[in-house]
Amino acid sequence: MRPAGVMRRHVAIVGNGAAAISALETFRTHDRDSRVTVASAEPCTAYSRVLLPYYLRRKVPYHHLFIRDAAFYRDFDADLLLESAVERVDVGARRLEFADGRNLPFDRLLLAPGSSPVRPPIPGLEGPEVQHLWRLDEAGRLDHLFRQGARALVIGAGFVSLQAVWAARQRGLVVTVIELAERILPTVLDDAGARILQECIVASGVDLHTNTRTEGLMRDERGTLRVSVEGLPSFAADVVIVGTGVRPNDHLLAECVEPAQRGITVDDTMQTAIDGVYAAGDVARGPVVGGGPRTVHALWPTAVEQGKIAGANLAGARATYAGSLSMNVTSMFGVTVASLGRFAAEEGDTVVLRDDLPGLRYLKIVVREGVPVGAVALGGAAAATALGFLRPFVRQRVPVADIEAVVTGEHVAGRIARGRAIGRVVPGGSGS
Amino acid sequence: MRIVAVDPDSCVACRNCEYTCAFQQTGDFDRARAHIRVAYYPAERACVPFTCMHCAEAWCMEVCPAGAIARNEETGAVEIDAARCAGCKMCLLACPFGNIGFDEADGVSGKCDLCGGDPRCVGSCISGALEYVEVEDAFAFRREALDTRLRHVLRLDKGRP
Amino acid sequence: MSSEREIQQTLCRMCDDRCGIDVHLEDGRMVDITGNRAHVWNKGRLCVKARAAVDMVYHPDRLLTPLKRTADGWQEIPLAQALDEIAERLVEIRERDGARSVSVWKGEAIGFGQQEDIARRFIHAFGSPNYLSNDSMCYAARYFGYKLVDGGWPIADLENARVIVMWGANPPHAHPNMTQYITAARRKGAKLVVVDPRLSAIARRADVHAQPHPGTDGALAWGLMRELIRTGAYDKEFVERHTVGFPELSAYAATFTPEMVEQETGVPVATVIEVAALMGDAAPRVAMYVGNGLEHHENGVNNIRAVVSLDALLGAVDREGGNRFVEPAPLRTLTLYDDVPLTHLGPLGADRFPVLYDLRQECHTMTAMGAILEGDPYPLRAMVLTGANPLLTNPNTERVRRAFEALDLLVVRELFMTETAALAHYVLPAASFLERSELHTHAKHQAITLTCRVCGFPEVQDEYQFWHDLAHRLDMGAYFPWDDETALNRWLLEPSGLTLEELEAHPEGVTYSPLTTAPLERGPFATASGKVEFASRYLKDLGYDELPTYKSPEYRGTPDDEYPFVLVTGARKLLYMHSRFRNIARFRTAEPGPEVEMHPDDARALGVGEGDLVTVTSRVGSVTIPVHVMSPAEIRPGELQITHGWSEANVNLLTHDDRFDPISGFPLMKSVEVRVEKV
Repeated sequence: MRPAGVMRRHVAIVGNGAAAISALETFRTHDRDSRVTVASAEPCTAYSRVLLPYYLRRKVPYHHLFIRDAAFYRDFDADLLLESAVERVDVGARRLEFADGRNLPFDRLLLAPGSSPVRPPIPGLEGPEVQHLWRLDEAGRLDHLFRQGARALVIGAGFVSLQAVWAARQRGLVVTVIELAERILPTVLDDAGARILQECIVASGVDLHTNTRTEGLMRDERGTLRVSVEGLPSFAADVVIVGTGVRPNDHLLAECVEPAQRGITVDDTMQTAIDGVYAAGDVARGPVVGGGPRTVHALWPTAVEQGKIAGANLAGARATYAGSLSMNVTSMFGVTVASLGRFAAEEGDTVVLRDDLPGLRYLKIVVREGVPVGAVALGGAAAATALGFLRPFVRQRVPVADIEAVVTGEHVAGRIARGRAIGRVVPGGSGS
Repeated sequence: MRIVAVDPDSCVACRNCEYTCAFQQTGDFDRARAHIRVAYYPAERACVPFTCMHCAEAWCMEVCPAGAIARNEETGAVEIDAARCAGCKMCLLACPFGNIGFDEADGVSGKCDLCGGDPRCVGSCISGALEYVEVEDAFAFRREALDTRLRHVLRLDKGRP
Repeated sequence: MSSEREIQQTLCRMCDDRCGIDVHLEDGRMVDITGNRAHVWNKGRLCVKARAAVDMVYHPDRLLTPLKRTADGWQEIPLAQALDEIAERLVEIRERDGARSVSVWKGEAIGFGQQEDIARRFIHAFGSPNYLSNDSMCYAARYFGYKLVDGGWPIADLENARVIVMWGANPPHAHPNMTQYITAARRKGAKLVVVDPRLSAIARRADVHAQPHPGTDGALAWGLMRELIRTGAYDKEFVERHTVGFPELSAYAATFTPEMVEQETGVPVATVIEVAALMGDAAPRVAMYVGNGLEHHENGVNNIRAVVSLDALLGAVDREGGNRFVEPAPLRTLTLYDDVPLTHLGPLGADRFPVLYDLRQECHTMTAMGAILEGDPYPLRAMVLTGANPLLTNPNTERVRRAFEALDLLVVRELFMTETAALAHYVLPAASFLERSELHTHAKHQAITLTCRVCGFPEVQDEYQFWHDLAHRLDMGAYFPWDDETALNRWLLEPSGLTLEELEAHPEGVTYSPLTTAPLERGPFATASGKVEFASRYLKDLGYDELPTYKSPEYRGTPDDEYPFVLVTGARKLLYMHSRFRNIARFRTAEPGPEVEMHPDDARALGVGEGDLVTVTSRVGSVTIPVHVMSPAEIRPGELQITHGWSEANVNLLTHDDRFDPISGFPLMKSVEVRVEKV
């Protein structure tokens, strides 16, 4: 029982994505008492950004984009403030200031506002046809623009862009992709993996140009957008998707952003330099598996993990984070693409390359002093499964004597045979 | 909560469990579609059944970006709602035991759901290698001794784990 | 509206395991089959064949109307007309060629049991001794092996054994739920020895897998006996008190040195010594089970007798953890061998294979082919065949086909239009096991189960009704006085003191007498001497060797360049039972078709890989069949295996119907000399 007259502690969560939701759920397993407010810039309950390309592909219906409904916030006893973009955090006064002038005091704070897409300085890159694929409303607008036979320009060949390209092809659009860099997916695939995927993209009928600059867009006399691209005849576009990266919404706590870095720096409890203020998800620059410099891993699983740690610590638990591990997976252009950790080999690394394992077209594992540190796999669903087998070794830095036994699951057979994996015997379950 | 405990020392890789499960999923006997698999290594005569252990902290469930994986409160099973699954394969990457499958035709992940609390694989296990038991009894169920040949094939002699 | 789900409990007869099942019905239609957890035998576990009974019963190709062959093909006719015409033809043939020119043949396709005894009763009532069945190629040889030595076939007490030996038996595929009893013993520390030329499913769990060349099991058994005698590890008291012929046995065993055994069988010296030591240490808790693998050889019965003799040396006869005699079910006898003995009419094969007829009242199906085709020893003109498909399961298919085509009357009762049914004059729809109510005995548990009629079809008669209706048309209705199968069941059950109502209330099985552990207190063994017979006077008097002497298989003699491989046929597969279930679509997904199992070295030498076609040729015939390249551990070089029952590549086109085990008359089917050519 709280003594009469003592205010309930108030925890504010800025953001309503994976990190925020995960933090709220974990917080409530520790603390049913405190008041919690979730402040979202968007007008709806939590939805999954990861699903937006699947929505465009018509794989996921609109209503399934929402991963939590209003009842969820009630069940977890949280006030949900919609369309409440936070403009500034007044650390001294311990209050949030909203764009519309409202403010909200807090005792403890989690900043999980995510990141925002970057719009490159390309002349004429504006108009209703020009969209990012980041927010729900943008996906909705793109859905209307995705008409059979429409001409699409996609600027940038990153993870989300290429999923948008795949969705556009599935919907019957004519697609041109212009990427300024030398290759596609630099943060998700190694060179060889990228080449394989690139072949698949081209084979699916996409006009893909790397190492190419988009010079500008203009409207012709009929109002149609025309695109000027270095080295190519100009062409018309009915829809333009801008996918040139995202930037953490770290301006909310600029004092915790180190010079020449992005992201709000957090320690292994997900706390910022300010007591009682935490950050998680795309906005956080946190510890990584195996040590090394703190990094922003703008990935769904990282957001979930960090949110769990932050949620626990907001409630006064003493959870620590072992560090994030980059992991990506999707299927596009008929191939499953998965990667894990650091897959770019450095001097002194051993590299295992296989193309003969069942269900795998390409597998690369980077090994440092006997310990796998990262991998890339392309193929069928087995690509994801293989890296799933490998992930605990990377995460816990366990040396592997027999890589093949790991990626084919034989080591799991061994653990099962020894009773180590029977039931809930694996400490902490399958996660961290 | 009860789980399907496996005893490789009793398994004969007869495949009844795989066929039964595939039949539950698809009405056919394509073993690739089963949510239980038996690895068989003839040279070492090792047979090891694998299936989901419905982990206490199921990472597949936590990382699913579609909110498609949830625990069945009645059976304790970690279940995938195919209608919500986007087919992103994050759960395949999340499972360290390879216990989530992918249905290429429907583009969705699939896994053991304990058949709603009466796992058919156990009912078709004619060797007795599979038992549906309380989690805490899963240990006692397994024989202590492990064949040396099994140890060899499963790379147990070559390092951890 | 959700429909009401009802469960009926009965037995599965998709194979001969007789597992308790729960049949789930919705609006009277079967929708699922699960295991009966209370049932004494299977304790709720079932192999995947059981559920397929739903598919089998409602299969679109199921025969549901009587068919008559006409010049224009099959014609549907009313059941009564079919029975009238068949009766008329049978009378004609009897009048012309005598009653013994008519025969019945029982198979396993509908889940046999009472079916067998009703058919036996019918044919004797008709006046012919010629009851034929699949038993003259399966089961009976093992029965002889045990009967001749022990006086009966005791049950291996697997779960109480310290050492289990599987001789040519693969329970996971052949008797699936036997596997759980082996597991139970192994969990208590029992060692498992598997004797099989192939790495069978059960061999995967073996502590010792002895891999003899096909047909050489007897040499291994003799070698083990020699070791036990040499080391003094045999049960001297048992041998002294309960056996005859030990001096002869001991003298004969002496030549089977481990080195000689290795040379003959391929089982290494060390393995022979190891297995003998395991047995000696565990005796008498050594449970040996002999499978069909030992039967189809030139020396089959004697090889089995040698194994059974080994039991006695270990004192593992009628002992817990060894082999235990069980009380037979106290049921009435339906056959007429006492009332109407017809031996004077010369049951087919009884002269050449007297043991087969004397101990099992089985006629010899291969001899029957000669009777049809050559009138030797006398003409056989008509056959009523129920649930059997000899065109796939008897040796030398071409000859079987010619014979069946030559019959004046062939009546086939079947579920489907089989290869054999296609040759019939009349095809009658048979009732599956789910459409009949019969009594079944689980000898191991000394329990009886009554199966129940779960469903039915208007024109489809159960076994009893068919023979009853035919008998009444042939003026032999007095032998079939019961109105229906329930009345028959009630009559059969009467001596047991149990009632049908009790059995109905206990589908998990009702014990008819408690299991006793009174080793060796049952009085004398049911042999001529009253003792376990290492040496058989009975066989000696019939002109056979007194001891279970070993005879090396013919293929082990001089190398035959023309037929360099030895082919084993008939290894069981999980999803098929002889020629059955090839029409269950999902079984085809899992095990799509026939294949010849081959060692990778042989495949390499032939230049073939997985799935490549080869032609396998014996002195009898040839088949073209895809190759399955096994792992090197799974089969020996030079040895092949083809499972029977596939019309696409019927291995019985290759098997001999004129090379027999001299005692059982069983054909040589598991050591056939063949050559292989790449297609």
